[in-house]
Amino acid sequence: MRQRGVIVMLSALAAMAVLIIVGCASKKGTTTVSTAKVQITGAGSTFVYPLMSRWSSEYAKLTGVQVNYQSIGSGGGIQQFKEGTIDFGASDVAVSDEEEKSFTRPFVQFPVVAGTEAIVYNLPGITQHLNLTPAVLADIFLGKIKKWNDPRIAQLNPGVQLPNLDIVVVHRSDGSGTTYIFTDYLSTVSKEWEQKVGRGKSVSWPVGVGGKGNEGVTGQVKQLPGAIGYVELSYAMQNNLTFAAIQNAAGKFVLPDKDTGEEATRAAVARLKQDIRSSAVNMPGEKSYPITGFVYVMLDKQPKDAAKAAEMKKFFEWALKEGQQMASELGYVPLAEEVVQMSLQKLAEVS
Amino acid sequence: MRLSRAHELWRRFLNMASLALTGICAIVVMAPVFVILAYLVVNGIRSLNIEFLTSLPKSPGETGGGMANAIVGSFYMVGLALMLSLPVGVGAGVYLAEFGRTRYAHVVRFMADVLNGVPSIVIGVSVWALLVVPMRSFSALAGGVALSFIMIPMIARTTEEMVRAVPNVLREASLGLGATYARTMWSVVLPAARGGIVTGVMLALARVFGEAAPLLFTALGNRFWNLYLDRPMANLPTQIYEYAKSPYEDWHRQAWAAALVLIIVVLVLNIIARVSTRERYRALR
Repeated sequence: MRQRGVIVMLSALAAMAVLIIVGCASKKGTTTVSTAKVQITGAGSTFVYPLMSRWSSEYAKLTGVQVNYQSIGSGGGIQQFKEGTIDFGASDVAVSDEEEKSFTRPFVQFPVVAGTEAIVYNLPGITQHLNLTPAVLADIFLGKIKKWNDPRIAQLNPGVQLPNLDIVVVHRSDGSGTTYIFTDYLSTVSKEWEQKVGRGKSVSWPVGVGGKGNEGVTGQVKQLPGAIGYVELSYAMQNNLTFAAIQNAAGKFVLPDKDTGEEATRAAVARLKQDIRSSAVNMPGEKSYPITGFVYVMLDKQPKDAAKAAEMKKFFEWALKEGQQMASELGYVPLAEEVVQMSLQKLAEVS
Repeated sequence: MRLSRAHELWRRFLNMASLALTGICAIVVMAPVFVILAYLVVNGIRSLNIEFLTSLPKSPGETGGGMANAIVGSFYMVGLALMLSLPVGVGAGVYLAEFGRTRYAHVVRFMADVLNGVPSIVIGVSVWALLVVPMRSFSALAGGVALSFIMIPMIARTTEEMVRAVPNVLREASLGLGATYARTMWSVVLPAARGGIVTGVMLALARVFGEAAPLLFTALGNRFWNLYLDRPMANLPTQIYEYAKSPYEDWHRQAWAAALVLIIVVLVLNIIARVSTRERYRALR
């Protein structure tokens, strides 16, 4: 009796699993349980995740090649690529010479898309874009400017009724490419920041509270009146956060968007020609948005699986050409044509 | 000796108060379960539809799509873990119960308890180093192995308890009739202990079905279908984690639906565990 009961239960469980699989398989032709012959695995940057997924969906429809991209963070992407557990890595920060020494295989890296970071804040009743200079921004994040109605902020924003509110700095608690780009920018514009804090995927912040991921910082800023933080522009827009116009190297106050970001990447071309890993922060040009960065992809130079590598090359060629249009739809900054050409050259080095 | 009126009232009051207090505590124990269930049903039921159960995820920001691959992936890897851990766990449990007086057995028992207490994220990272790096790929196999590491000590320890609880007279009777020791184990002791072992296995399954940590760095996740052992595979817990922390409304809704599916499966496994224990006791009575 008992034995039979157990057998019945186990077979019921098995039947359940089979039913689910069969159910999915019999569903309309497009979603059958089948795995493509070629499946490419990539991981890394959370920032590029929405775009990578869109590329992957579109590309699978076009060619049947499946690119499975998982967002584990830029640091994770570099690490897993180094260990060889993924086919390609993506990071908001290029792999430095220092890091490259620990790699055992030759690889190429090149930008696939760019993005801007918005300085978001939560000031009850204030919906306009505040003007901020690099010096003021650095002093806010250094904890030297403590109140929103500080004369230095008020001076930049005549006519705005700034509240007598404490400034709450919100930063990333996890290692992140977003943090790297932001601290790289602050280090470029402020000697004091460079000496006291420096640049990095995670730094020891002089003041403020941490939030995990772009979404964590977004959430904190949304909830805390007086908060200021840095997030990728798409997060700011999707969550209706107010963001600041930042004074660029040419002295103009500019807002982050596709055009000002693209202007910055174009201004970075000369630098990129010398080193493809160069950053795009604080670029010259009247319309350049100063907090702009690239997303880099890492590929093996001499891949073991030639068939897979050939498909991967085709995918990135497509992403660099046709894919750039999708980038601007999703709030990213498409690469300037010169940068696309440089990336394609790098991609061609993959044998 | 007669109690004074006041004293008697005081004792009655104390009695009532303690009863009320423990009763409230009992409600507090149950409350989270109901709150969680109610919350999941309210939030998840809206997005739990045919599309959710049968289609692949859409790219972030797009509305619609589902988690069919993650649901299948979860069953796949938990099934794999069961196949790996059942023979090992039951075998080890029988050994500990029958020959458990040696120093070696003490060490095994201690190690099983240690393994039981190892945080699941540590198991995930270890399997990453043991399997993912040498294989040069995240894989369903690595996910299944990580889950089996959690199940093995649980199954081994329950099997040990259950086999030990089988009355010795049964063994003596079987041996007395001329059966070999192996035959006695297989045909008498294990069947007698089966109900309890099944309970343990079901509870272990329910536990690993909801584990995200050991799968993060082993199965990795997959946007597409995969039924190969050597490729990354989607699964419910990590998908919930991924979706819940995304900035998209629709993904939040789907995360609720996925959580509801998860809790239903876990609940069913727990109920099966309950039912099989009840049968065991009825049989022993």
